[in-house]
Amino acid sequence: MTQSWQRSRAAVLFMLPALALYLVFMVWPFLQSFWFALTDWNGATATKTFVGLANFAELAGDGLFRLALRNNLVWVVVGTAAPLAIGMVLALLLWNRPKGFTLFRTIFFLPHILLTVVIGIIWSWIYNPIFGILNIWLDGIGLGQVSRGWLGDPDVALYAVLIAAIWAEVGFVFVILLAGLQNVSRDLLEAATIDGANGWQRFKDVTVPQLANVLNVVTALLLIGGFNVFDIIFVMTQGGPANATQTMATMTYDAAFTLNRVGYGSAISLVMTAISLVASVVFLRLRERGEG
Amino acid sequence: MATIAGTGTRPTAARRPQRPTNGLGQAGKYLLLILFLIVFLVPLIWVLLSAFKAAPEITRNPFGLPAVWRWENFAEAWSVGRFDRFLGNSVIYTAAIVAGVVALSTFAGYALAMLPLPGRDGLLVLFLLGLMVPFQSFMIPLYYLLRDIHLLETYWAFILPGIAFRLPFGIFLMRGFFRGLPSELGDAARVDGANEWQTFRQVILPLAAPGLAAQVIFQFVWAWREFLMPLVFVQTEALRPVSTGIMFFFGRFTAQRDLIAAGVTIAMIPMVVIYLLLQRRFIEGITAGALKS
Repeated sequence: MTQSWQRSRAAVLFMLPALALYLVFMVWPFLQSFWFALTDWNGATATKTFVGLANFAELAGDGLFRLALRNNLVWVVVGTAAPLAIGMVLALLLWNRPKGFTLFRTIFFLPHILLTVVIGIIWSWIYNPIFGILNIWLDGIGLGQVSRGWLGDPDVALYAVLIAAIWAEVGFVFVILLAGLQNVSRDLLEAATIDGANGWQRFKDVTVPQLANVLNVVTALLLIGGFNVFDIIFVMTQGGPANATQTMATMTYDAAFTLNRVGYGSAISLVMTAISLVASVVFLRLRERGEG
Repeated sequence: MATIAGTGTRPTAARRPQRPTNGLGQAGKYLLLILFLIVFLVPLIWVLLSAFKAAPEITRNPFGLPAVWRWENFAEAWSVGRFDRFLGNSVIYTAAIVAGVVALSTFAGYALAMLPLPGRDGLLVLFLLGLMVPFQSFMIPLYYLLRDIHLLETYWAFILPGIAFRLPFGIFLMRGFFRGLPSELGDAARVDGANEWQTFRQVILPLAAPGLAAQVIFQFVWAWREFLMPLVFVQTEALRPVSTGIMFFFGRFTAQRDLIAAGVTIAMIPMVVIYLLLQRRFIEGITAGALKS
């Protein structure tokens, strides 16, 4: 037995348990999704009837799906931009480790570890029309006329849930940007200052380019998260009121597990997957070109 | 890829030139920091204080200290909310998933990074795909697969897919870590007659400790917070983890706000305590994990 053969055999054995579990519980059902999506299966019958692309055709004309897609786009834009902006401000404020650094960092990150249900309950309370602190506070500063049941109003419910999600997400973005800032050269910043660059120019032209890798990772994560968002919506509004907070993910869940439309649910989940994959790949490509 | 070697170490004085600070800017900075501190803390403190109050007092006096500290709210929430059961289940799920992901992804990451694995590039692409697709893309067929092999509504229905779903991330994290080690590392041991398992156990694994620490923290937070997977695969009340179990408790007792607040607090406490005790490791682990993989 040659030694290289032994090492290859060892490599296969080290890989096997992970690969087996991955193939059985992820790759195989993923491939099955494509088959499910081409049927009108209800989950109960023994056979699945092939219906071709009928589910996708229905999806194209489904007003609810358009609404869900629109909500996902709002979520992606606001839910990416806001955590990035706020996280960046917090990271810059704490960059040179001022007094109280550990306290601030610990608290800013804290919401990220909470269970989604806990975040959902806390924010449902904040928004509560009767005892919620948001309305109490608005009354207090003389804006009582805008107070309302925030989660019950179809015009604002999506943004209300989104704010709760941003509150929970900011800390994660912040600690990653803060770590990224540790590798930004202070010498370059000093040089730019001497060359007469103002604060915004230094940030835009010196700091951000050096953070490019970190920003790409964080933005891609937020983008994917925005297209797939489910937990916080399911906990706070279940897609309501009047479908105002439906997203592709909540539609998938409803179709497959509430309405027993397994084929249709699979079709939605695949479209959702395709959109988020394409968006993140396009984003990363654009960034590469921008830097190349 | 971004390197974050500097994350854990405090910058030396030389790396931290003290800029000439004017008092006004400094004050503005702290004003902003404290404002955010309030935004993140006040909701939590509000609920925490509410947990000690009687239900009417929560509405009447939202920000004040409780007139009487009602510790009995917690005892009642604990029993009607079945927290012993849900927290116990969460411990089982989290321990099993973290152990599974850490072990399997360490083996696989090692094979990918340091051993002559046949078909390596194909496997990398396959795992990269898994890193990018959402759970929903295989959730529905997986539900029926679990049903057909009689694992649905058992602990395994969350544990096995829970491990599989987090493996791609775990593998890339460990692979990235092992690639940082010199590739001839195991050779001396092999020359001395150690077999591949001994080489891995005695030479490689001890050097992987920092990577493992980041992995454990990341997977722990994920497994503890996992929501949709247990929501769909383990609906039996007695098998629910706390992440889904408390949702039904909250749904049932909406009107009893004192109980809800106490329940929220109980659900927060285990993770918050662990986080506060290990906060530096938490943050280092999360950043290392997010940036290295």
